[in-house]
Amino acid sequence: MIALLIANSLALASLLIMLSSGLALIYGLRDVINFGHGALYMLGAYLGYSIALAGGFWLALLVSPLLLAGLGIAFEYWVLRPLRGRSHIEVALVTLGLGIILGQALIFVYGGEARGVDAPAALAGSVRLFGLSYPLYRIFLIAMGLGSCAALALWLRYSTSGLYVRAVSQDPSVARMMGVNADRLSLLVTSLSAAFAGVAGVLAGPYLSVDPGMDVSMIVNCLIIVVIGGTGSIAGAIVAALLFGFVQVAGSVFLPDLAALAPYVLLFVVLLIAPRGIGRGRAPA
Amino acid sequence: MSGGTARVDARGGALFAGGAPARAPLFVLLAALLFGLGAFVPTHLLSEFALRIGAGGLLLGMLALSVAFLMSQAGLVALGAASVYGGVGYLFAICLSEWDLSPTAALLFAFVAVVVYSAALGALIVRTNPLAFMMLTLAAGEMIGHSVMLEGLRDYTSGADGLVVNFKGAVFGLTSADFANATQFWPIAWSAAWLLGLAAFAVRRSRFGATLRAIRENEERMRFSGFGTYLPRLAAFVFVNAIAGVCGLLHVLNSGFVSPESLGLSVSTNALVAALIGGVAGSIGPIAGGFLFAVAQDQFGAHGFTQLLTGFAIVVFIVLLPRGVVGGLIEAARRGARRGTR
Repeated sequence: MIALLIANSLALASLLIMLSSGLALIYGLRDVINFGHGALYMLGAYLGYSIALAGGFWLALLVSPLLLAGLGIAFEYWVLRPLRGRSHIEVALVTLGLGIILGQALIFVYGGEARGVDAPAALAGSVRLFGLSYPLYRIFLIAMGLGSCAALALWLRYSTSGLYVRAVSQDPSVARMMGVNADRLSLLVTSLSAAFAGVAGVLAGPYLSVDPGMDVSMIVNCLIIVVIGGTGSIAGAIVAALLFGFVQVAGSVFLPDLAALAPYVLLFVVLLIAPRGIGRGRAPA
Repeated sequence: MSGGTARVDARGGALFAGGAPARAPLFVLLAALLFGLGAFVPTHLLSEFALRIGAGGLLLGMLALSVAFLMSQAGLVALGAASVYGGVGYLFAICLSEWDLSPTAALLFAFVAVVVYSAALGALIVRTNPLAFMMLTLAAGEMIGHSVMLEGLRDYTSGADGLVVNFKGAVFGLTSADFANATQFWPIAWSAAWLLGLAAFAVRRSRFGATLRAIRENEERMRFSGFGTYLPRLAAFVFVNAIAGVCGLLHVLNSGFVSPESLGLSVSTNALVAALIGGVAGSIGPIAGGFLFAVAQDQFGAHGFTQLLTGFAIVVFIVLLPRGVVGGLIEAARRGARRGTR
């Protein structure tokens, strides 16, 4: 029972980690919270759905993130750079507007009903693990989530570009003075973050479903996680995503009537105890 | 802290500021004339359908006023206006049907409950930075939206079906049918818009308004100078939610119906867009913006493009027209006047 609970919350947390660490990365470099991130995730999911119909799940898992990364580059060149002089709130509002446009365009193309995506044949069944039967696809999901989390941590910790990202996140002006090219980093980070949203979208297909409301529900979850984790803290976001997944899953098991409110209760409890969140985010400049 | 919409000038938009004192009586006279004409002339000239759209625009404009006030004075963007707007309607409906309160008592109870809710929420979230505030109001709005759909509250809220609100007796001398009648409702909405607009204007011009703007510009400096920065922001949050509450009550009285859609994120973003269209600085801008939005929605909404256009409007107005239509016109008029005197 407990093992099942933990496994299910890890599966949910895997998606949330990929999305909210992407949000935290962009915030670290640009001080911008991308309110359109949910729509990127939705685009990834619908692209995944279409590509999976044409060429299979694995192709979708490869192509959809690549397309999203391209969109992330466009976002950096056409939105973040031209609006560099504007206040962060205004840029956040622009991303909100762009997210609405993207979400509505997807509904216009794909219609209003939910779509189901089948797990690929190799991951269709269940396996017995520690005496429990567990869907193989969720294990794959957890592996992908924890894997990308580990890759992100290794990149930030051991690569030169990761070092620069951490430097800019901690103190943009000093980092720039030391010769770090924040624009080039931002290009990298924005495309990475969009690609992660694409991976999460494709992975969400067989696990949740592909439906018109998925952008709003996911962005709200991610914003809660980013606030709980301490705005801009990637480690905080990862811990918060795990916590969020556990609370959500435990809520739906023990208090199914009130489960929808569980994340909000978590949010307000954390805010009451630690208004800045659990991680060490940077206060906005 | 570069804080919020820095483009709004430090006097708080000041629609009337700068006018010579000698011209003040003229302004008051003109305003009174405009108020009287606006309250009664349209009801004789326009069709019921047009009045309905106009009143809808005024309601949206008042909601936009609440968003715009917080945005221009405190530098905070609230994305949860719908939760108060729809929530107060739900409370009113539940007070009537479940607790058998009189309509006036139900109105009062719902309003006070919303004010208390916003004070509690504000106490938690106005401490955070403006970006986190924006995220948190979005989250809180979604929370209220989810909670009316809870199975456990289905007996009260009837889930996705919504509630019909039909009260017996009268509120302020008006029956349920009067509020539903477009010709009778127009003057009510018109007066409410004026009252709320003037209230926002008075608060902007007060010492409290100046304190808010100073905190928006540089919170640390204000703390250094010995000002509390927490309570003024909390008070501003409660004030704008009270505006949204009045607006929500008028909406439920008029439509006689509350549904989960009234709590949806799209209501909040519509209010935001209306505020951006009109310009957030003054009182006239947001209300006029609501009006323009309602007309535009009537023209294009039938094709199901409202939300798409909302998205475009946010981007276009922030990037190209940050002062909005009314703000831009005032700016142009000032520039023209200055050139004329030279």
